[in-house]
Amino acid sequence: MKKVYLILVIIPLLSFAAHKYYLSLTQIEYRSEKKSVQITINVFMDDIEIALNKNYNIDLKLQTKKELKNNDIYFFKYLKEKLHLKIDNIPKEFNYIGKEYDGDLVYFYLEIENIKEVNSIEIENKILTKHFLEQQNLIKYKDGDKHKSILLTAKNDKGLLKH
Amino acid sequence: MKKITLQLLTVFFIGASVSAQEKITKQGHTNQNKFKQLKDELATPNSQRTASGAPGINYTQQKVDYIMDIVLDDEHQKITGKETILYHNNSKDELAYLWVQLDQNVRAKDSKSPDIATNRVPKVMNKKWFDRSFPSNPFDGGFNIMSVTNIDGSKLSHTINQTMMRIDLPKPLASGKTFSFKIEWWYNINNHRKDGGRSGFEHFTENNNNNYVIAQFFPRLCVYDNVEGWQNDQFWGRSEFALEFGDYTVNITTPKDHMLGATGVLQNEKEVLTKNELNRLSKARKTYDKPVVIRTQQEATKIEKSKSKKTKTWKFIAKNVRDYAFATSRKFIWDAMAVDINGKSVMAYSLYSKEANPLYGEHSTRAVAQTLKTYSKYTFDYPYHKAISVDGQMGMEYPQICFNPGRPNADGTYSDRVKYRMIKVTIHEVGHNFFPMIVNSDERQWTWMDEGLNSYVEMLAELAYDKNFPITRGYPKNIVKYMSGDQSKIAPIMSKGDNVYEFGNNAYGKPATALWILRETIMGHELFDHAFRSYSQRWMFKHPTPADFFRSMEDASGVDLDWFWRGWFYTTDVNDIGIKSVKKYHTKIVGDNVNFIEDKTEGLGFGAKKGKDSKYHYEITYNKPGGLVMPIIVQFTYKDGSSERKVYPAQIWRYNDKEVTKVFSASKELSKITIDPQQETADVDSSNNNWPKESKNQFEKFKSKIKG
Repeated sequence: MKKVYLILVIIPLLSFAAHKYYLSLTQIEYRSEKKSVQITINVFMDDIEIALNKNYNIDLKLQTKKELKNNDIYFFKYLKEKLHLKIDNIPKEFNYIGKEYDGDLVYFYLEIENIKEVNSIEIENKILTKHFLEQQNLIKYKDGDKHKSILLTAKNDKGLLKH
Repeated sequence: MKKITLQLLTVFFIGASVSAQEKITKQGHTNQNKFKQLKDELATPNSQRTASGAPGINYTQQKVDYIMDIVLDDEHQKITGKETILYHNNSKDELAYLWVQLDQNVRAKDSKSPDIATNRVPKVMNKKWFDRSFPSNPFDGGFNIMSVTNIDGSKLSHTINQTMMRIDLPKPLASGKTFSFKIEWWYNINNHRKDGGRSGFEHFTENNNNNYVIAQFFPRLCVYDNVEGWQNDQFWGRSEFALEFGDYTVNITTPKDHMLGATGVLQNEKEVLTKNELNRLSKARKTYDKPVVIRTQQEATKIEKSKSKKTKTWKFIAKNVRDYAFATSRKFIWDAMAVDINGKSVMAYSLYSKEANPLYGEHSTRAVAQTLKTYSKYTFDYPYHKAISVDGQMGMEYPQICFNPGRPNADGTYSDRVKYRMIKVTIHEVGHNFFPMIVNSDERQWTWMDEGLNSYVEMLAELAYDKNFPITRGYPKNIVKYMSGDQSKIAPIMSKGDNVYEFGNNAYGKPATALWILRETIMGHELFDHAFRSYSQRWMFKHPTPADFFRSMEDASGVDLDWFWRGWFYTTDVNDIGIKSVKKYHTKIVGDNVNFIEDKTEGLGFGAKKGKDSKYHYEITYNKPGGLVMPIIVQFTYKDGSSERKVYPAQIWRYNDKEVTKVFSASKELSKITIDPQQETADVDSSNNNWPKESKNQFEKFKSKIKG
């Protein structure tokens, strides 16, 4: 626990001249013709690595030769713990399609299938908020031509997406 | 012709009679055009700051010289200073008082900085964290000002207002005159690893040692100029500072077994370095290809085990610098190499503890050298004699010296991410020698002027260090997430640093991206590089403002960029350009006329009716849901697989900010039209960038890659 809390303490007090920031993006799109709610999440690789290593007592070593194999198990587990969605007031489970790396980001692809209609999505997003006080999780929702975005934080980790 | 005229007249008279019946006169408007010139936003040019963006004939700036005796008390982590300040009033104004910055007071017990940071009660908190957040015995930081006196020792009237101190002059200081006075002070040094800060000490329990990185450590004069008057905005902890140039004579007394690096030319190297070290240093001064170790890890490891009770004094003179800082520890390893800057030798140094090796030994000094080379190429030849990178485990810059992060694992291994991050920050902080240590913009007011410009040149140095360097900030695609975010949490770049939401994106990422786009997409390398170099050289060792930058970039390139500054720097608008519709035409010559005949078949292909002598005419309507005006970059892909790139300048949007229609006449049939295929413009929504419209989004592309 020591390492994580050291980071927690320093961040609010320091202003790096090379400033670090804490932001994830969750893009949700409803594709009516596929009856599918598609969720694409990107997070900073070093932050998610710190969180998972601490939570599950593992050492991911992402993007190194010693990268922990089968790490998707942990990513899926973490996302299931931290991300909850209700579509028209009914809690829905998502499938984990996979992940990919892009620079210092990790993209996660999640999907909720067999959704005939979406009027509202209630989202609870606690990704990284426990480990990084300044973490902001931006949610963008798209349904056809309609767009909506909300910003969630540790303090305010739930939002309603409705047109 | 008659018939047409009659119709027109009819329309005219009907129109006139309708408007005559209206009771409300038509609503007018001010100039809202995105290409409106910036004259209202920029200060009126004058003889100090000209319309060309260069300093004018009456440009002046103050000069402040310091003579300081500094004593570091390692046992109690205390620092004491006696300082004589010589203030040169080069302005045309008479000054009744001087303002001095007391940055350490941000850590004083009565500091208001913690009071303006909001917090909340969490459900659970680690004990260690709790003790720091709710300390029973808060750190006793801040300056203890022991005396402020005239040169003859008589008391000088002064008033402390948090992080600022006003010195009331016995009589007003006339233009062209100097005033000399003394300040004596001390303060408790903060543990920056525990409590944070841009300077302080790091404690090592093994052998009970401290690494000191000391900065913002002495009362420093504020800038006085014709833009802000006295730049005496409080230091809240985030927005850094503005400082005057001057000459420093500094004596620093440390334990005898310390190794120290500081701003300025060391005057007594024979007194403070061993014979071995002197020999290795003279070898390093002639070694341009790799660092030469001057104090080895083996030597440092031995030294850190014993503690000398004796002291020694390091003597430095620094000419024409805007600040002073140093780092010292008995743990420090020191390596050095010479860098050839257009025929002049500059030394690249690194100071690091064994905990930072081999990462620092392998990359630190090399990164310093690369920074000096690349920045000198794009701005001006580095004018100082050295640049030092210190294993300070933060990221902070001072003249000729900076403190950087990154350490290997205990077994000496390190991942690429740790390595690249350390190199990235080192390049960034060494790069700050150019902005703002030499091109001395005011960071308290305009963080982006040094952070943004520096983050841009940093990218060039990183790519020069390693062509596969993983650049994570500065490319247009990197800023999309920020720019497309919640508008209520985004501020324009032209905002004061203390008040913006996402400091890193606002003051570093977005302006760096803006410059990258100017160079790569809007101006081209030749025009941009010349203008950027002109700005840097005009303002080296001076105090530029945003207007001086904007004007210089246009004046030196002949490119009107007011629309770009307005959109990217003064608003939070985003770029989103799409293809709304495409119509196809072929031509038929009938007598003296050429008839355009629409082909209404699906897709971009043409039906059989097109004659062989006709070109393929595509009438494309581009729409712009985004508020920014940007060039339209289009890739036309032909049916045969070849492609052509066309860039319509941003000015295409002058008469219609929402949509424009433009004909592309091709000699071959098209299969695809793509907007901004290389992601050059930070387009926030690429779903409208293709014609025919792409059926698969990013998610579906990934899914079909995984699931087949």
